[in-house]
Amino acid sequence: MTETMDKEIDVQDEDEAQEQKRKLGEMYAWQEGMSWNPVERVILERRSVRKYKDRQVPEKLVRRVLEAGRFAPSAGNSQPWRFVVVRDREMIEEMEKYVRLRCRVLKFLLNWQESPLGRLAWLNSQVSARLIPNLMHPIPFGAISLIADGKLKLFHGAPTVILILMDRRGAAKPAVDVGICGQNMVLAAHSLGLGTCWVGFVEVFKFGTKWKKKLGIEWPYRLVEGIALGYPVGKPDGMIERELREIDWWEDGRKRIVF
Amino acid sequence: MEMAFLSLKERMTIPTYDDPERCTSGRVAIDHERCNGCGNCALICPGACLYVAGVGKDKKAYMIDKPVPDCMSCNDCMAICKRGAIRADVTYDFGGFYKVLHRGELCPPRNF
Ligand SMILES: Cc1cc2nc3c(=O)[nH]c(=O)nc-3n(C[C@H](O)[C@H](O)[C@H](O)COP(=O)(O)O)c2cc1C
Ligand code: SF4
Ligand code: SF4
Repeated sequence: MTETMDKEIDVQDEDEAQEQKRKLGEMYAWQEGMSWNPVERVILERRSVRKYKDRQVPEKLVRRVLEAGRFAPSAGNSQPWRFVVVRDREMIEEMEKYVRLRCRVLKFLLNWQESPLGRLAWLNSQVSARLIPNLMHPIPFGAISLIADGKLKLFHGAPTVILILMDRRGAAKPAVDVGICGQNMVLAAHSLGLGTCWVGFVEVFKFGTKWKKKLGIEWPYRLVEGIALGYPVGKPDGMIERELREIDWWEDGRKRIVF
Repeated sequence: MEMAFLSLKERMTIPTYDDPERCTSGRVAIDHERCNGCGNCALICPGACLYVAGVGKDKKAYMIDKPVPDCMSCNDCMAICKRGAIRADVTYDFGGFYKVLHRGELCPPRNF
């Protein structure tokens, strides 16, 4: 009796192994014009998710996502990251409020179209765009006002937030490592049915002494990015169109331009 | 295709982002034949530049009427719209210091 059962289990295992192989058959090999393999699918269909269900993500699932971050490549294997996971709804709400308040101040100082400061705000924006051109890029600049007006949320109602602190002493270029680490987690999360959104606006916490202490943003750490994590409302993932970018292609001693 | 070149004058100019003569924001094309006004795109648009108006069969999505809407041509609206009714057809370029270089056309993933 037990023998036959063992055999049945063996057969089942074999079936599963076959099934697994069939699925993985699409991986680790390329043929011209073949359809997307599962990894490519996740990469190409991942979209930033800005509407989440209330339902909390199981702890184990978050731990699993964090593992994908831990195994990211980093210059000199210096792993210059530290994760802060926030799953406390009240705390997330407080963070949301804090950033909105700060964005209102920034809007007042910079948004020359709507601020009562008028031309002074215009001057502020021109000066800061020259000092910190990346942060004052028109898109984040516009987002400051959107957040201030409550039209754009910080974490979009996600029940879990992963903050990535960067160890400023990391080998070579730690900010690059942190980006790679975060994207590993993002892709793993989407492959497991979760939605994510990168949140660069966590930058604003550097203005808050209380938050810096609470979140551990102290030397040698700097808070660089946040990732909102949760179950998406609807089906926001999907393939889309994006702009091509010119590529310089050197081969046979000459340069071609390809797209 | 744009010239992949940034002049010194452009490099020195920080544009003011409210003049459509000097900068282009992202723009979407909405096919009102297909759109059923479900509002999903408006719900998730990070630039808050979509809204739904009208009643019953005439309920449709529109882009807000602003000289330079906050559209970043992310196409997240295209991804969430399962009716294929919306897509970004103009990508942003704020000119001057922020002029976009080496750009090509909009195109879905190509499986070479
Ligand atoms: C480093 C980084 C920071 C970002 N910060 C924010 C943010 O603060 N708020 C937000 O809504 N989206 C943020 N995003 C998401 C981008 O807007 C989004 O990735 C981009 O529009 C492309 O859309 P997709 O992610 O759906 O492909 C960020 C993305 C990255 C990579
Ligand atoms: S998601 Fe599509 S169908 Fe729904 S309102 Fe937007 S464009 Fe219309
Ligand atoms: S492309 Fe992005 S920013 Fe523009 S309308 Fe669509 S969702 Fe909004």
